Amino acid sequence: MKKVLLVDDDVDFCEATKLLLDSKGYEVVLAYDGKEGLGKVRAEKPDLVILDVMMPEMNGYDVCVVLKADAELKKIPVILLTAVDQAFFKTTYTRAMGLMTEADDYIAKPVEPGELVKRVEDLLSKK
Amino acid sequence: MLIQPSINILVVENDITILQRCRELLLDEGHKVRTAECIEEALDIVQKQPGDVDIMLLSLELPGWAHMTLIETLQKARREILIMTMSANCGEEAIEAMQAGAYDCIQKTFMADRFRIKINRAIEAFRLRRQLDLLTRQRQAEFTRVRQDANLYAILQSFSDALVVTDWQTNIVLFNPAAAGLFDLTEETALGHPVSVFIKSDELLSFFIRAIKSDSSLAMLMADEEPVVKVGNKNLRVHVFSVKNEGGTVIGAVALFHDVTKVSAMDKLRDDFLSMVSHELKAPLSSLLMQISVILDGLAGDLSPKQTDLLGKAKEKTKGMITLVNDILDYRRIQEGKSIQKIESLDLAKILQRTVELMRLSAEEKGIKMTCEVAEGLPSFNGDRGGLEVIFINLISNAIKYTQQGGHVSVSLNKAGKDIRFKVVDTGIGIPPEDIDRVFEKFYRIKTDETRSISGSGLGLSIVKGIVEAHNSTIFMESPPGQGTTFIVSLPVEE
Repeated sequence: MKKVLLVDDDVDFCEATKLLLDSKGYEVVLAYDGKEGLGKVRAEKPDLVILDVMMPEMNGYDVCVVLKADAELKKIPVILLTAVDQAFFKTTYTRAMGLMTEADDYIAKPVEPGELVKRVEDLLSKK
Repeated sequence: MLIQPSINILVVENDITILQRCRELLLDEGHKVRTAECIEEALDIVQKQPGDVDIMLLSLELPGWAHMTLIETLQKARREILIMTMSANCGEEAIEAMQAGAYDCIQKTFMADRFRIKINRAIEAFRLRRQLDLLTRQRQAEFTRVRQDANLYAILQSFSDALVVTDWQTNIVLFNPAAAGLFDLTEETALGHPVSVFIKSDELLSFFIRAIKSDSSLAMLMADEEPVVKVGNKNLRVHVFSVKNEGGTVIGAVALFHDVTKVSAMDKLRDDFLSMVSHELKAPLSSLLMQISVILDGLAGDLSPKQTDLLGKAKEKTKGMITLVNDILDYRRIQEGKSIQKIESLDLAKILQRTVELMRLSAEEKGIKMTCEVAEGLPSFNGDRGGLEVIFINLISNAIKYTQQGGHVSVSLNKAGKDIRFKVVDTGIGIPPEDIDRVFEKFYRIKTDETRSISGSGLGLSIVKGIVEAHNSTIFMESPPGQGTTFIVSLPVEE
């Protein structure tokens, strides 16, 4: 069973998304801020991380940078998730931040449940 | 034929023989002639009866005077007098005299024909010069009238926007206190002086020149552009118009400077605010969408048919709100001319196929068949990736939205002449003929029984139109009654 770590400060979103991914046969681990997320990556060694960008303590970009700088952890695919203005995110983020953080995919919130599942499946099958 | 007034010529020459010869020749031509044998005498005449001298015929061989100084002095004090010099050989000194302001030089050989030709040309030049002066004075007088109209003047003075009026030679003729403060103008230093002395920006100067040189339509065009210029630490929105008299002749230009420094700061504040609102709205909406979806999928327990029905409607409303938030943000960006963020070489086929994959899910949910045909080997297109995605998403999602269950949406990308042609055809409810002209208007939504249950902001198509135009492209649509709707976007490929 593949393990997915979802890091998002929105507890409601985490809860609902966990139900969704559970139903698709994933083991879902939750974390509610950047620091906790980073700790859980190290402790749980998930197969994939879904990272919200705007979070307290440590934001998603920073968490991603740390992950991708780690020789062991950088193999874990990361999907960035953000509610920032969609077009802004796509054009500015993917070129500037995307290169720096080397995230494997990004999704603009609000995300269609089917779309999220598809992206997760795609990344895990690539691995 | 126009009868020209006779010309007054003052001959200044110490050689009496030559003086007499000149006098005879000029009298023969019908001119009024006065003579002076030395500079002092000539200056006396010019100063006492300034209007009595039109042309001065000045010998360059008078003793005791620096001619160049004399010519320069005369030019400054009595600009209306045209100075012709005479000398034995018209050498270096004649050239210097012309550089100092003299019109021409006559050789003192006095071959009658040559003398006449030179004098006549000088007279011609004198008349032209006088006409020009007259015209300038007339045009300036029209501004003087404005200054003398107390009410009008008071209005201009109390304007909070800076206002500068120039004549047709871009000399300042009028300004208000706001402009005085902005450009450091005073009545003494500025009036009658070129605007370029005070307004150092070449861009600003070009507006004045264009307003004066152009016809009104061009001036209007400039006003549409509303350029913002930085002066000191202020951002100024500039409007420059040509000023015309009753006869339609351009007599000058008027420039209005509106301080938008604070507005620019407000723009930034508004952007920050909207980004914040965007985030604060989208975060809960995404939770809501996820929660409703998992309940609908039965992941939180079994649902009764009634519950499924109600939650399905709640999900549609939530999606409608998400689209609205995105549309408002997109629309703001397009209004600000930011729809093209970065031009790059794009593989449209790839972008479209990806978009179609994203949309396929919502088409299938609605029981609509979606097909996508992409021609092989399409050239790359130079455009903004985000913008093109929005065009594809909005047109395809519209087609899905307005097509009933069991319908068909077909999307295609082809080469048509020099263009890449993107086409979306649906078998949907179509657009009533009376609404076709208005579908691209912002916030316009077609209101019929069939559309009542469909949510939307009415911004989607106006956003598409904005992006299409920003790419120098065209959008075309047709919707014959009962046959669905077709949208075609033609994207020109650069050679």
